[in-house]
Amino acid sequence: MECVELLKKLSNMRAVSGRENMAAGEIAELFRQYCDDVSIDAFYNVIGFKKGQGEKPGNVLVTAHYDEIGLIVTGIEDSGFLRFTAVGGVDAKVIGAMEVTVHGKEDLFGVIGVKPPHLIPPEDKNKGIKMEDMRIDIGYDGEKARELVSIGDMVSFNSPARELLNNRMAGKSMDNRSGVAVLIEILKELQKIKHDDNVYIVATVQEELGLIGAICATYNIKADLGIVIDVCHGDMPDAPSDEAFPLDKGAAVAIGPIISRKHARECIKLAKEENISYQIDPEAGDTGTEAAVLAVAREGIPVILLSIPSKYMHTTVEMISVSDVVATGRLAARYIAGRSKE
Amino acid sequence: MFNIINKLTHTFGPSGNEKKIADLIRDMLKGKVDEIKTDALGNLICIKKGSGKKIMLAAHMDEIGIIVSYIDEKGFLRFSNVGGINPFVILGQRVVFENGTVGVVWYEENIGDIKSIKLEKMYIDIAAKSQADAERLVSVGDMAVFESGTILQNGRIISKSMDDRIGCAILVQIALNQPRTENEIYYVFTAQEEVGLRGARTAAYGIMPDMALAVDVTTTGDTPECKPMSVRIGDGPAIKIKDRSVIAHPQIKDRLIKCAEEHNIPHQFEILVQGGTDAGSIHTTAGGIPSGGVAIPTRNVHNSAEIVDMKDVENAVKLIEAFIR
Repeated sequence: MECVELLKKLSNMRAVSGRENMAAGEIAELFRQYCDDVSIDAFYNVIGFKKGQGEKPGNVLVTAHYDEIGLIVTGIEDSGFLRFTAVGGVDAKVIGAMEVTVHGKEDLFGVIGVKPPHLIPPEDKNKGIKMEDMRIDIGYDGEKARELVSIGDMVSFNSPARELLNNRMAGKSMDNRSGVAVLIEILKELQKIKHDDNVYIVATVQEELGLIGAICATYNIKADLGIVIDVCHGDMPDAPSDEAFPLDKGAAVAIGPIISRKHARECIKLAKEENISYQIDPEAGDTGTEAAVLAVAREGIPVILLSIPSKYMHTTVEMISVSDVVATGRLAARYIAGRSKE
Repeated sequence: MFNIINKLTHTFGPSGNEKKIADLIRDMLKGKVDEIKTDALGNLICIKKGSGKKIMLAAHMDEIGIIVSYIDEKGFLRFSNVGGINPFVILGQRVVFENGTVGVVWYEENIGDIKSIKLEKMYIDIAAKSQADAERLVSVGDMAVFESGTILQNGRIISKSMDDRIGCAILVQIALNQPRTENEIYYVFTAQEEVGLRGARTAAYGIMPDMALAVDVTTTGDTPECKPMSVRIGDGPAIKIKDRSVIAHPQIKDRLIKCAEEHNIPHQFEILVQGGTDAGSIHTTAGGIPSGGVAIPTRNVHNSAEIVDMKDVENAVKLIEAFIR
């Protein structure tokens, strides 16, 4: 599947954190054609295994989370309006007037209604609105709503992925389905080149709730190298330049205390040699990504973090460049195949 | 059952000091389960053997409290919190130490605006006449808990430490009922939940259960002008959907709902915006343990007068018994 089509398909899947069972099968299906074995664990981590050809193969673990931020129904009012709260880091400022799907007994179309400007008193004109004061409107009828929706049902945003000019795409879940696309790019690349090591490609769950899926996966997989694929902030107006990275310049390769210095260096060296675009991402803290989990899992897994610059993170228009996805996949695959192991 | 609850709430056991409460529960369950043990963190683990699935039921036996950090030259105690303590809530409260010493919480009256009150501007007065006098009764590092009675009124309980002695009472009651099941049941009374879900983590690792339920309290949305929440006391135990520490595993959540529907047990759903529970640390242990929770709707959580409805407690017993069958 071409990368653009793949990204569309991935971004449009629905897998709000904690309910990844909705998409686990589809992800497994995408992995299957490139893997020797595909399994789904108790928490719906999807694990693709690709056997190495070496005599004493090492084990490489590559993770990218496939959960997405969303909402959860917390109450159903007699009028039929649904109250809700966030699952993961949803910014109340950007969700007014959004179209959503309520995953009730059946999938229901809904909108997050907002008060028209005419009805807002002048003193409130410049004020934000809190999530607890917003409602989802599914066409309000309390009786019917209660029949189809339960408290605890998940809600995802409707924002089909679209192609833009200049090889760019925007969609609701580029964080981190673009990372899952990289996983598949890696698998495709590894079909073409010999690799000594066994490779575990894992699409993880519940990252947005505290890196939960990676915690579970690293217990079960003994790896001697970890590669985490996630998104970082894309360069946009007003973004601090040291925390945002331009699109189309390749993966942001993290360097920092929890990152394996040796592997990051060698990865950068390889990128230069092979002419694969990359940029450097200085990470002073724990990165906030699954790299933080891998670094301290078991006896500690040397880890590198490759990030795809994404503009407008945690909105429904997360924008990435397709060329970054391809470059990141290529860099990771080449590194896995060519890495030195002493 | 109120008798059990009353004994549990009146036994000392702030986080990290669970020995007394563990001993009480051990006595209650002696001879009713196949094995009782304590692990290094102080979790009390009571096992009913079986050949089926290993099911862990966790209720934390620690309670919130305070810890003495300094004794001044006049015999007043400075203190810090053990678990989530709101300074407004403990103002004027009585606290009691393990040795029975009672103190009263008060504050430096020159703080100006009462809104700016913090624990470091507060002290405990144990009616000591001097520093030496105070040091005879308590030491730095001693913990104290709320001093308050347990009352059954109008079918509802008003008490300190419903969080989570009510969960402990439910587990004790189930163990005493000895429900028939093929499954191996681990009644785990966990330590140090209030300071970061710590006991449950090591207990789960030691047991490696196939699934787990945390039995704890939840806040409600049924008091005047409170934040909206679809949980009310008296409307049944709440099946956990989500809190800050966990999203209930879909299979566990669905099984609880099915059990409740099949047995006509009134129930509601818990989405707790603040706070976590033992399931939060259990579910990420050892490669992942599918976990969920049953919560007792409780008003005034982390207060010396928490309120629960006995019907919810009895229905929780029924629901969990159906779940483990």
